[in-house]
Amino acid sequence: MATTPINQNPIAPGTLPQTTFVNHDDDELRRRQSRRLVGRIVSYVLMTLFGLLFAFPLIWTASSSLQTWQELRSYIPHLLPATPQWINYYQVFTLVPFARWMLNSATIVLINVPGTILTATLTAYAFARFNFFGKGVWFVLMLSTMMIPAIVTFIPQYLLFFNLKMVDTYVPLTIGSWLGGSAFMIFLLRQFIMTIPRDLDEAAIIDGAGPLRILWSVIMPLMKPALTTIAILQFLADWNDFFGPFIYLNTMSKYTAAVGLRTFQVMPLETTDPRDQLLMAGAAIMTIPVLLVFAAAQRYFVSGVVMSGLKL
Amino acid sequence: MAKATNNVSLAPARRRRGVSPAQRRQNLYGYLFLTPWLIGFFGLFIGPGLYSFYLSFTKYDVLSAPVFISLKNYTDMFTKDDLFWPSLARTAYFALVSVPLSVIGSMLLAILLNSKLRGITVYRTLFFMPSLVPIVASVVLFKVLLDSSFGLVNQGLRGLGMENPPGWFADSKWAIPSLILMRLWGSLGGTQMIIFLAGLQGIPTELYDAAAIDGANSWQSTRHVTIPLLTPTIFFNTVLGVIGALQTFVAAFVATQGGPAFATWFFALHIWKQAFDYFNMGYAAALAWFFAVIIVALTLVQMRLSRRLVFYYGE
Repeated sequence: MATTPINQNPIAPGTLPQTTFVNHDDDELRRRQSRRLVGRIVSYVLMTLFGLLFAFPLIWTASSSLQTWQELRSYIPHLLPATPQWINYYQVFTLVPFARWMLNSATIVLINVPGTILTATLTAYAFARFNFFGKGVWFVLMLSTMMIPAIVTFIPQYLLFFNLKMVDTYVPLTIGSWLGGSAFMIFLLRQFIMTIPRDLDEAAIIDGAGPLRILWSVIMPLMKPALTTIAILQFLADWNDFFGPFIYLNTMSKYTAAVGLRTFQVMPLETTDPRDQLLMAGAAIMTIPVLLVFAAAQRYFVSGVVMSGLKL
Repeated sequence: MAKATNNVSLAPARRRRGVSPAQRRQNLYGYLFLTPWLIGFFGLFIGPGLYSFYLSFTKYDVLSAPVFISLKNYTDMFTKDDLFWPSLARTAYFALVSVPLSVIGSMLLAILLNSKLRGITVYRTLFFMPSLVPIVASVVLFKVLLDSSFGLVNQGLRGLGMENPPGWFADSKWAIPSLILMRLWGSLGGTQMIIFLAGLQGIPTELYDAAAIDGANSWQSTRHVTIPLLTPTIFFNTVLGVIGALQTFVAAFVATQGGPAFATWFFALHIWKQAFDYFNMGYAAALAWFFAVIIVALTLVQMRLSRRLVFYYGE
């Protein structure tokens, strides 16, 4: 089905009646141009000012993670370390098993991302392409799960996993992503699939493809931006999650980086020196992978949200 | 194969008995693909939800079996729990301040970043970056930055001549504003703003052309074209923002453990403490259900209001 493009001007440039521009003399035009220039400068100034304000805490993380605690506690603040204390980063890995914790976080991410991609896509595909009995009801039920606070189901879920002797394993932290993932992600994927023309499905049916074949060979390749978005959202959710791992994991060697960093904040060490610089180094270490992943997938991420046509 | 699909287009003729083969196929595949989600929905959501509803009428400390005590948990929370009303009020305060600031802030930021200026993606990335910082990491950062004596912010304020800068996380009056500040830093340029950008890019350009021909300046076209057409996005972000803000407690827990002097003891933290520190599972379940009712009611009220306030272009 050919749809009429929305953004195209219905009047071709050449056919525009000449009279439209007659009343704009040169002065008017110049005034308009200079006003636009001023507007542009104002935009840049505003964006740069706010940008610096937003970037500053990140810059400060980097800088303070390389200072000594004496520098951090001196009465005249040091914006930059006198000599970068790379040893802080070394100490984070030796005082606490930070490498282990990072690896644990990565493990959970690596289990959950394929799970969500697979099962959230299947769910979204069912909602977007099949007119099964009761579809409307299930869809509303799915969306309404977004309203219910996590804590309502968290308590009985904990009791369930407690009775199944699965506390202190990664099962409670990973099972959800293999059972559809979050409602928001399913919704996003469903919106995206709806934008893919059905003609493509029908062409594949004529070629003898079944529903799974269509999903795998026709729809999923076109969903790359949306799937990348989902993968990033899942990665962020797992990497940043504190609530789940904090309750479910008891053994220190099983901690994730988020729980580990918080433990590092409060755990007793041999020395009672302030450890702000070490905590900052830890914060930087656990933030770097997120920034790297985002940098690699950034162009898909924005277009994934935009193209899913979040028409609400 | 081809024949079966031809029937799909005729499908709307639904009969009470005798489902057509095409419809049967739709049902079969629909439910087949829905299966993983259905298992999760019943196993991790409906089942536990019902169990927690049952628990809310019991006294349960995990070690011994639940004892049915009828409505006692619900009456206790209103009458005997000293932390109940204050924690609810604190949560409301946090949501009422942080949600409007973050929704309006990210909308303005999105309008600013929606231009086609050179280098705009660099700026978008810059504003998005704070939202990527894990919450535990940003707590560590803000606690150092806002430390009452050695924090850079207070040193700066003293340098500017303020004698007694706020104690931030250490001061019961400033603890919630500190959390709001942290949240704004982490959310203004984040997904909310991306959703606003998506909304802005969905506004047909001919509306701006028409406004320009009518002689509207940029403020007027923002006021009369952009904002009305963004109301669905504003609505969406507000609803999700309220749901999120009411449930915040991780930042409060990691930064201040609900203190100082219960200043950041939010309602969700209260439930959490009852459940996992004091093992009052039954009472915690009752609190959680009360909380769920409040959140659902607030969401429904917002949806009702949206009918009057939200403008859908082209309807």
